[in-house]
Amino acid sequence: MTALLEIKGLTIDIARDNGPARVVDGIDLSLDEGESLGIVGESGCGKSLTMLSLVGLLPNRIKATGGKAMFAGRDLLKMSSRDLRKVRGSEIGFIFQDPMTSLNPVMRVGDQIVEALVYQKNMAKPAAMARAVELLDLVGIPAPAERARAFPHELSGGMRQRVMIAMGLAGHPRLLIADEPTTALDVTIQAQIVDLVRELKDKLKMSVVWITHDLALIAGLADRIAVLYAGTVVEDAPVSVIFDRPTHPYTRGLLASLPTLAGAAMARLPSIGGTPPEPGRRPPGCPFAPRCAQATAVCQTVPRLAPVPGSDPRHRVACPVVLQELT
Amino acid sequence: MEQPTNLWRDAWKRLRRNKLALAGLAVVAFLVFVAAFGPWLAPHDYLSQNLDLRSVPPQAAHWFGTDDLGRDVLSRLIYGARTAFLVAVAVTLIAVGIGVILGAIAGFYGGTFDRFVMWFTDMTMSVPQLLLVVVINASLKQPISTWMETQYLASLNPIWRNTMLADFVLVFGSMALISWPPYARLVRAQVLSIRSRPYVTAARALGLTNRIILARYVLPNAMGPLVVAVSAGLGTAMVLESAFSFLGVGVTPPTPSWGNMISDGLRVWTNSPHLLVAPAAVLAVVTVAFNFLGDGLNDALNPKGQK
Amino acid sequence: MTQTLLSIKGLSKRFDLRAGAFGQTAITVHALDDFTADIRAGETLSLVGESGCGKSTTGFCLLNLHRPSGGSVIYDGQDIAGLDEDAMRPFRRDLQIVFQDPYSTLNPRMTIGEALSEPILFHKLATKAELPARLAQLLADVGLTPAFARRYPHELSGGQRQRVAIARALACQPRFIVCDEAISALDVSVQAQILNLLLDLQDKYGLTYLFIAHDLAVVRHISDRVGVMYLGRLAELAPARDLFARPLHPYTRALLSAVPEPDPRAARSRQRLEGEVPSPLNPPQGCRFHTRCPLARDPCKTKVPAWREVAPDHRVACHAVTGKDQTNWETP
Repeated sequence: MTALLEIKGLTIDIARDNGPARVVDGIDLSLDEGESLGIVGESGCGKSLTMLSLVGLLPNRIKATGGKAMFAGRDLLKMSSRDLRKVRGSEIGFIFQDPMTSLNPVMRVGDQIVEALVYQKNMAKPAAMARAVELLDLVGIPAPAERARAFPHELSGGMRQRVMIAMGLAGHPRLLIADEPTTALDVTIQAQIVDLVRELKDKLKMSVVWITHDLALIAGLADRIAVLYAGTVVEDAPVSVIFDRPTHPYTRGLLASLPTLAGAAMARLPSIGGTPPEPGRRPPGCPFAPRCAQATAVCQTVPRLAPVPGSDPRHRVACPVVLQELT
Repeated sequence: MEQPTNLWRDAWKRLRRNKLALAGLAVVAFLVFVAAFGPWLAPHDYLSQNLDLRSVPPQAAHWFGTDDLGRDVLSRLIYGARTAFLVAVAVTLIAVGIGVILGAIAGFYGGTFDRFVMWFTDMTMSVPQLLLVVVINASLKQPISTWMETQYLASLNPIWRNTMLADFVLVFGSMALISWPPYARLVRAQVLSIRSRPYVTAARALGLTNRIILARYVLPNAMGPLVVAVSAGLGTAMVLESAFSFLGVGVTPPTPSWGNMISDGLRVWTNSPHLLVAPAAVLAVVTVAFNFLGDGLNDALNPKGQK
Repeated sequence: MTQTLLSIKGLSKRFDLRAGAFGQTAITVHALDDFTADIRAGETLSLVGESGCGKSTTGFCLLNLHRPSGGSVIYDGQDIAGLDEDAMRPFRRDLQIVFQDPYSTLNPRMTIGEALSEPILFHKLATKAELPARLAQLLADVGLTPAFARRYPHELSGGQRQRVAIARALACQPRFIVCDEAISALDVSVQAQILNLLLDLQDKYGLTYLFIAHDLAVVRHISDRVGVMYLGRLAELAPARDLFARPLHPYTRALLSAVPEPDPRAARSRQRLEGEVPSPLNPPQGCRFHTRCPLARDPCKTKVPAWREVAPDHRVACHAVTGKDQTNWETP
């Protein structure tokens, strides 16, 4: 398998009144063709910014300032905004968290998909309409021809998210980036959307990056998981490895504090003390050290991702303390 | 996550970076200073006529020249600033007072009172200001002046000779009474949105009385937009005063007002252009200053509206 | 059996919306319909369900923050449902609430100290002289130092704000606290901290919680009893252990199977609930779940299922369920 996407040393800064603040600090990530990667982290860890930077959709005052992001042989960070616009949609599809604010409220949903098709694929309008209905059918919307004429507010939250997915798929992208697409949805609907994306991934042979804060959700979806903390990748491994033998203290703490339906019901869950640092206010050295029970003097230098000995060859962790214990 | 927080300190920081708003603030501050200390600043008496020096252009003794009665223009401008400022503050204070009370109670309690207030607000807004002032001027001013004259003759108390009193109470009182609706609407809209915030519900859950909740939880959080509106409203009220005085339905001469100075200057502008230019320029600068300040405050207090 | 703290009978809430240019069309939202349950002293009763199921409305109606349209809430021998603000005030001290959104739950213009002093001084729970000690005690109870009293909400993280919100509820020395999605908006690593804090405080002060949540996994760990709601009605109410081990109502089962499990192998084969929750503006007749229910039969479309105790302390509203582990369709 070859890497479809390879991010190396990505840094992202926010311009603040008192100078730039680093929010993403040297992220390394890669994604194979046909693979699905889960990016897990808490709010402000830079998971969304990392992905937005790939397609040039970072908000004002926030800029990718270093590193590279090779996508199918080209560096996305060096592309002109015109070329990026072509990549966006036709090669990389995006699904956002809130389908209500991401859809144009005064346009019929079918027309919104048609617009994407006409623009990205130079399709004629009637052909595009037929394709839009096909796409709505593909994402499991009943009576797609009728629903194409509906306005976003006439659809339920789950249906709107399906429309968003249809739009994300319109250009037949090789990579679909889903940014917390189920956070605003109820559990039963969330489960439907997760199933849908998994099916579509196999059917359309796409790679998928799914950004989430929910480890449990991603367990059923991703081949590989990257855990982010305060703008860096702290652990990166195949999904079974993350859940069977989490190695980084943060990953371990996160998994331990996760309540489950299986296993013993205990009233008090083990918890990680403290709170994640605010974006741009990362402590020096290992950003997790202030909350880490295992922190030592080594943690004052910034740790680098390194392979975990005796584990899966793709298992990497950024913690010299646990690595020392393992060797 | 950035929160609108220590609102005033943050706002001041942002305002300080906005050069236009600072310039506006400086002009407004200067105006307040001039209005407050006018009698000490004015080089001449605004009423004393020097018939030897009529309509002279600007010179050392009279920086802005004299008018056709030989009165010092600078002194009249300074006293005009007093008039304008007094009117603006009085009108705005009364209007804001009425607006805040009606808007806050209507928005907070809702129901029939709210519907009545909104209906009353719409009614009031439909009254054309200029027409109202002209009507009041034409119908009430004369009888009241006559009544005041008889009071004076009866009591010999000089307060009844003060025509300014009649002007203010009548014309600008009525102006105030019709300029509160925008404030009422603004405050009501603010209160409506703040009323449903969790911290207000939490205050209710604590058992606090409505009066405490309104005064300590709702109104302080509604202040930002109101400050912007007041700043803009002060400017508008000054322009209105000048406009009414220009049309002869505002301040009665010889009390100096920028409006009636412009009106007088217009008649002689071919011979003495400074009589028109000086008051018009002052009015323009002050108006623009209030607008810059209002815009700056708006940006400073609502940073999310910026790009 | 422990004592009943709040006895709720037939609690209902309708919201009347007006539509049309002149408000001539009235639409009624049935947010809560015939909620009947007892809340026992010292327990954690959780309410779960999807958005629009009425779980938050229940909490708000209990505290009269929404005035119920019908039903009764007996507390201390008195029906407090629908009391006006003045009559309700003495009860407010005992019955408190913690909200979901830590960013808007505190007045941004008040320091933490001011926010916490307000209820103490208003209800005369301490004198001005005792106040600093009381504030320090409250802050210590929620794991904050006295220095926080001088800070403003914006200087705090989400978790810290939620601690302050809990301290504010505690300031009244309540017996009962509604936790309305109190941890839902927090970061994953902070949720467990706040949950543990709530449990510690419950032990320390003998509090009773109504815990409103949509995360079933969380609920399983902290609840004594769990109520499952669907479109404004209770579907099932049982001790947590029973409910998670042997869910009886088909909706409860579907809901449980939709919860993602942090296990890559278990997660990929589960039963799915088709369709979406119907609009509360126009809820289905009969059993409100029948449009999505795999067991639905004719009576479900017309008859509202009775709220019955099918096993000790295990209540269900479903025509199909007659007893534990039994579904009976022959005699509906």
